[in-house]
Amino acid sequence: MNPQEYILSGIVESYVLGLASPEDSAEFERMCDAHHEVRAARNAFELQVEQSLIHQKLEPPRVLKSRIFSEIGMEKDKQPPGIIANTPALIPRKGFARYVAAASLIMLLGSVLLNLYLLDQYKKSIAQYKELIATQTQIAGANQVMQTKLETYENALGLMKNPKMAIVKMPGMPASPAPSSMATVYWNTESKEVYLLVNQLPMPVPDKQYQLWAIVNGHPVDVGIFDMDKNFSFIKLKTIPKAEAFAITLEKKGGSTTPTMDAMYVMGKVTG
Amino acid sequence: MASSETYSEQDLVMALKSRDDQAFSYLYDHYSGSLYSIILQIVKSPEIAGDVLQEVFINIWRKIESYDPLRGRLFTWMLNISRNASIDMLRSKGYINNQKNQEITDNVYGSDQVTQTNIDGIGLTKFLEKLKPEQRVLIELAYLKGYTHEEIAQIEDIPLGTVKTRIRNALLQLRVYLK
Repeated sequence: MNPQEYILSGIVESYVLGLASPEDSAEFERMCDAHHEVRAARNAFELQVEQSLIHQKLEPPRVLKSRIFSEIGMEKDKQPPGIIANTPALIPRKGFARYVAAASLIMLLGSVLLNLYLLDQYKKSIAQYKELIATQTQIAGANQVMQTKLETYENALGLMKNPKMAIVKMPGMPASPAPSSMATVYWNTESKEVYLLVNQLPMPVPDKQYQLWAIVNGHPVDVGIFDMDKNFSFIKLKTIPKAEAFAITLEKKGGSTTPTMDAMYVMGKVTG
Repeated sequence: MASSETYSEQDLVMALKSRDDQAFSYLYDHYSGSLYSIILQIVKSPEIAGDVLQEVFINIWRKIESYDPLRGRLFTWMLNISRNASIDMLRSKGYINNQKNQEITDNVYGSDQVTQTNIDGIGLTKFLEKLKPEQRVLIELAYLKGYTHEEIAQIEDIPLGTVKTRIRNALLQLRVYLK
């Protein structure tokens, strides 16, 4: 195709108006470089378009110019001109959007800090709460111990105050392994229940237990074995309808059917 | 930033490449109206056309370094930036959604004249009126909608060769019309 035919093929118009395909455009540029007629035809058509469109104006919104200039002003401050030329054509954020973005960032940061503070407070509160729970449990436990003790003492006091209670003091025998020993039987004359109060007895060896006897018609009757761990409290033993005296012997663990006479620690006669 | 000075195209390009504010101001004062009118013919809405024009001038300022006077006049370069930006806008999600909403509104109120600025009788539109209908449709699809010849052949269901011939003839007529 010679240059004249090429010019009349419509490629000049397509190229100038941006309608040519990339391949056609590349070919056109080669033709322009090679043939000044093609270049001249392009230039002539460009001028025609420009002359025609330059007088066909519609006024854009007046605020646009200052908006554009403030944006390029901001870009100028940011980068040297050489670099800007190669930056991709991103649409920069408008002024208001920047402020919104900045404000959001600040709010986000504030929120993060607040959350960290609240998390710290929360952790502290949890620790304090656990401490309180522990203290409370401790107090409750101590309280229960006190309650139990108080109950025991109240019961003991109730027994001692009871007017129907016969009191049999059992001092240590002269021949006792521990002559200074002492125990007291509280015997309910009505219900015949026997309560024992140990005033003083030596701790038995592990395989031995103390046993209380009632002497009925001259014969020893088992009232029960007892341990020494319930300090200062009344030990309820068997019910004895009738007795002349009470005595305590140290027996093998579990008790005996007849008392070991040389291991008699204390004895007391029932009076009245 | 008064732009009372006048520039030859060569001087203007030199000044723009050295990032001269005054030259840029001159460029805006002289060309924004024409470019705005082209943009408006493509995107239809004045509000959107304003946004596109802003983008176009910022791109001109950024890309002026890459403008090569050997490949064409400054105005042609700016015209193509404007047309490309407008067509990109046409194809953006935001624009498409907006158009859908607009169609609904138009259907409800039975009018499509309300939001569209009357652009008959200016620039290309005036030229388009002189074309045969079958040519006019194709030029509209190609220039104002940005479709390729292949896409137009599909849309209009006519052979690619016919599309090319009709567009070519229309463009050749344009040259005559512009004389």
